[in-house]
Amino acid sequence: MKFWTTRIVSFIIGIGGCFVIDLLSHRFVGSYEQRLVVLAGLYVTLAVSLNLINGITGQFSIGHAAFYQIGAYTAGYVSRTYITMGGHNPPAIPWLLGMMVLGAIAASIAGFVVGLPSLRLRGDYLAIVTLGFGEIIRILVQNTDALGGSYALDKIPKIQPIWLVWLLAIVCIAVCRNLIKTARGLTFLAVREDEVASSAMGVDVTSVKVTAFIIGSAFAGAAGALLAHYEGLITPTTFTMDVSFIILTMVVLGGTGSITGSAVAAIFLSYLPEYLRGLKTSAGEPLVVSGAAVIAGLAAVVVGVAFIKRILDSGRGTPRSRALKYLGIAVGVVILEPIISFALHPIKPLSSMSIEAGQLRMVIFAATLIVLMLLRPEGVFAHHEFSWSWVRKLFGKRPVPQAEVAA
Amino acid sequence: MSLLELQQATIRFGGLVAVNAVSFALNEGDLFGLIGPNGAGKTTCFNMITGVYEPTSGKIIFQGKDISGTPPSKIAKLGISRTFQNIRLFNSLSVLENVVVGGFLRHRTGLMSALAYLSGSIAETALLKEKALELLEELDLLEVANVRSADLPYGRQRRLEIARAMATQPKLLLLDEPAAGMNPQEKQELQDMVRKIRDNHGMTVLLIEHDMRFVMGLCERIVVLDHGEEIAQGPPETIRKDPKVIAAYLGQAV
Repeated sequence: MKFWTTRIVSFIIGIGGCFVIDLLSHRFVGSYEQRLVVLAGLYVTLAVSLNLINGITGQFSIGHAAFYQIGAYTAGYVSRTYITMGGHNPPAIPWLLGMMVLGAIAASIAGFVVGLPSLRLRGDYLAIVTLGFGEIIRILVQNTDALGGSYALDKIPKIQPIWLVWLLAIVCIAVCRNLIKTARGLTFLAVREDEVASSAMGVDVTSVKVTAFIIGSAFAGAAGALLAHYEGLITPTTFTMDVSFIILTMVVLGGTGSITGSAVAAIFLSYLPEYLRGLKTSAGEPLVVSGAAVIAGLAAVVVGVAFIKRILDSGRGTPRSRALKYLGIAVGVVILEPIISFALHPIKPLSSMSIEAGQLRMVIFAATLIVLMLLRPEGVFAHHEFSWSWVRKLFGKRPVPQAEVAA
Repeated sequence: MSLLELQQATIRFGGLVAVNAVSFALNEGDLFGLIGPNGAGKTTCFNMITGVYEPTSGKIIFQGKDISGTPPSKIAKLGISRTFQNIRLFNSLSVLENVVVGGFLRHRTGLMSALAYLSGSIAETALLKEKALELLEELDLLEVANVRSADLPYGRQRRLEIARAMATQPKLLLLDEPAAGMNPQEKQELQDMVRKIRDNHGMTVLLIEHDMRFVMGLCERIVVLDHGEEIAQGPPETIRKDPKVIAAYLGQAV
């Protein structure tokens, strides 16, 4: 009974949430912010689906943008041919749903093809193959005139339901979460942990790997179909290696294997660059920082990390005293930055160089990752997941221990 | 009819003959020992039986069918399960989850049911967990059911490997050096445990072990390998006195 209550509540919150996001973004913000909401939703889908391949099944794939691209171009091309060129006028939402399915099928066929070498390759070798695959797809599209070549595949009919973008993200999260809650999902984790032992326990390692690739790429393909119809025009440059790496960064930052982590990191990392770009001085100009300030910031962070690392390694102190120390270090870093910046001021090339804050996003991405790898290599969320019992714990109610064992 | 029979099983790695024309047969309910000095080919034998390697020549007959060259996951489904000499647990999974993975090969629900979290899949998972808990209780691991398996002490990790193998409900259980790294008391407990597994679950046990006292005290029949060749076979009393076995372990008298 309690199971069904939780399930129905989650259902309502999930679907309701999609429409609330849709409503809010249509009523209160402009088209620029709406686009951000859409992109964040797509990135959540991409990160969570890559997490299924990378984090849960342990197959190191870094060509996820290729599946995104295949979905986008397949759906975009068919839509353009049938609606814009053919002059048909089908109902928008069912058509888009159909295109999502089509994009998903196309991408999952590609996922199957890429999944096959993963039966023989491990770790770095698989990473190289998937990276190569991603580039092959992009260059193939770039040189196919029917798909717009290196310009763009344009005149795709615009269908822009924001709720559907987030519904896809939620379905993707739900599917992955359902999987790891069942015994079947545990076999995926088992393959990640030890292939030899898995197969000795009767796990069909081949089918597990291929299944992970097919499901993961299908979601990326569906996301691609949504993107194509949202933008109305797609170019090969939308799907470069950068995109694959950003999705991978989301997975690693959130905690490899954690669905919650991937989703939260996807939202965070898709907003961060826009936030930086939006930073303005009080006069309304884009915020510009000097080279000295950037270097000083990095140096201050390095010092902070060194101190935190010492505390982590010593492993002493109560949680409270540690928290105070961390706070002290954070304050120290903020104080240290202008001091170092001032010290660097006499160096002409540094102080005269000016950089727009928006352009610093790659530096901040890289710095965040390095700091994370030093202090918490397992990612922000590590293996933890959001759950209702966790919420209950947060509000002070202790969950029943027996229920945990049985559930 | 014997449960498992090796007929002239041979495997070559390039020029090296790791196992040469080894033949032995296990009857249902046997407690069978496979011993020999280091590098004798014992684990290679296990790897042939469980499908990790395909024998170069010879046959491996399980329940009347030739299983040589069958992939490991299929062999596990046929009813042969094993533990590993260098422990291979699913480290970041909990003790309970390790055993559930072992039990999963007797599943019936499909992938879609798991993805949609349908009742069939939920019920199956709950059932597997229940069975896993029973096994953990039997092997005295219940109190650590929710501990990450990598965090267990060595002796318990070995026992967990046995629990995980038993979860696949095998007819034949292969134990690769189950007593390695255990103290005398733990070894005694393990002996009793293995005997109980045979008596209560009707599993046939084939084990590799270096500790002679352990093997002689537990196994009813023993086969001895040396340099990939079978040099003796029989009950512990005859093996103990066999001059070839003594020579293999202690060296030839000059």
